[in-house]
Amino acid sequence: MRKYRAIFRITLSNVLAYPAELLPRGLMIVMFMWVFHQLWRATYVSSGKVVMNGLTLSDTMWYLMMAETIELARPRLTAAIAEQVKDGSIAYVLNKPYNYLLYHLSHALGESVPAMAANALLAGATVWLLVGPPPPASGWGFALTAVTGAWLLNFCITALIGLAAFVTEEVSPFLWLYQKLGFVLGGVLIPLDFYPAWLQSIARVLPFAYTTYGPARLFVAPEAALLAAVLAGQAVWLLVLGGALSLAYARGIRRLAINGG
Amino acid sequence: MRELRFLVHLWRTNLAAAMEYRAAFLTQAVGMMLNNAVYFLIWVIFFDRFEEVRGWSLDDMLVLFGVTATAFGLVSMLFGNAFGLSDVIARGRLDYYLSLPRPVLLHVLASRGNAAGFGDFTYGILSFAASGHVSADGLARFGLAVILAAAVFVAFLVIVNSLAFWMGSAGFLGTAAVNAMVTFALYPIALFDSGARLLLFTVVPAALMGAVPAGFAREFSWPALGQLLVGAVAFVALARFVFERGLRRYESGSAIQVEV
Repeated sequence: MRKYRAIFRITLSNVLAYPAELLPRGLMIVMFMWVFHQLWRATYVSSGKVVMNGLTLSDTMWYLMMAETIELARPRLTAAIAEQVKDGSIAYVLNKPYNYLLYHLSHALGESVPAMAANALLAGATVWLLVGPPPPASGWGFALTAVTGAWLLNFCITALIGLAAFVTEEVSPFLWLYQKLGFVLGGVLIPLDFYPAWLQSIARVLPFAYTTYGPARLFVAPEAALLAAVLAGQAVWLLVLGGALSLAYARGIRRLAINGG
Repeated sequence: MRELRFLVHLWRTNLAAAMEYRAAFLTQAVGMMLNNAVYFLIWVIFFDRFEEVRGWSLDDMLVLFGVTATAFGLVSMLFGNAFGLSDVIARGRLDYYLSLPRPVLLHVLASRGNAAGFGDFTYGILSFAASGHVSADGLARFGLAVILAAAVFVAFLVIVNSLAFWMGSAGFLGTAAVNAMVTFALYPIALFDSGARLLLFTVVPAALMGAVPAGFAREFSWPALGQLLVGAVAFVALARFVFERGLRRYESGSAIQVEV
């Protein structure tokens, strides 16, 4: 475990050595929060209601703040793995005394942690200015717990997509599709609470809702029952996707052909 | 005319290069269409719940997506290097273009094309077709709107990426610029107050890529046409000016560069 902690620390130091590179995502999240506020303020005014589907404008904005904080801190894992497989540089990592997947997990975590912190700070400040103070701090622990499971789920899915480079030339389209399915079925841009009941039922059994909706909803509505449901869902999908990832990796490595030169 | 023939040759070469890896090309193109279609589902869900917001409905979003995606795809396919111009400048890769007897800016922009742009282009056309505004004059207005929107978009990318001449590296600004343009272009302009709208016609001209051309594609109006024409001419002129001023500061790199 020490070597993976070291990989995490080195990556973290690397990211913090160039703090200005966190700026683009920070600018984007401020822009998104402002645009979302324009849309949802107009929507709530049009409806004439203060509360819709159990959410006020403030709840919706803080939900979106947490959703975008998670979404915009996702590491570029798929591209990293796919590039290593396609250009053969995976050979340099495979002959090291650590597990390839755990290496990427530690590295990706080192990238995500500072990005998430920067996103939360900037998005939080923006939303506070727009709609007022955040939900009570009592819920933040619930949200943080769920964010951990969400991050691991996303790691499994994006690593699986990256490993598809063993069998297919181009993996970007699969990543795009995953991201957009995450937007729709994960509630990244609209809380699932606003969806028709039949679509909510579908979304709640798929893994996407546990990568974003769960933690974001817990942030604005910290309920023990909801936390239990989110953690249970994340555990089930982590077992399934973690297993699929291990299997895919083992098969991919067996098929791997590296051409020297 | 000569430059147009040159551009056509470049585009044909880019297409031929992409077709060498046909499966990858088709995967990217189809993947991007799927990507856009799934993304649009968010607006389907939103308007199913809320019906309309400040006069905007799902039909308006189909036209907006149609124009914006088609314009984005056009720039991506034909002037793909616009997205990475700052990288070309920062790494000294303009040397290759400077040594050839062709307009530098035009050559560098058109020397790359993105396969995924074909997906955006096709999806945009299908989205406009689904809006029900397809007629002879509707298609003509759509075509003109797309061309002018694309001109504004590529000019904006050139302006932002040309800051690399002064800043050394402007990759992050280029990425932020694309995200800002696409984000603001794909949201109903009716949501924004007058101050924000001024920004959307000037600093980040997303209105000239989204709402204004979409409005023109739906229905002819002289003010919309005037805004599009003035906007396109002004931004293209500004892009040329900024790039040429920056080029005076450019210093050759010593790297050997191969362009294939």
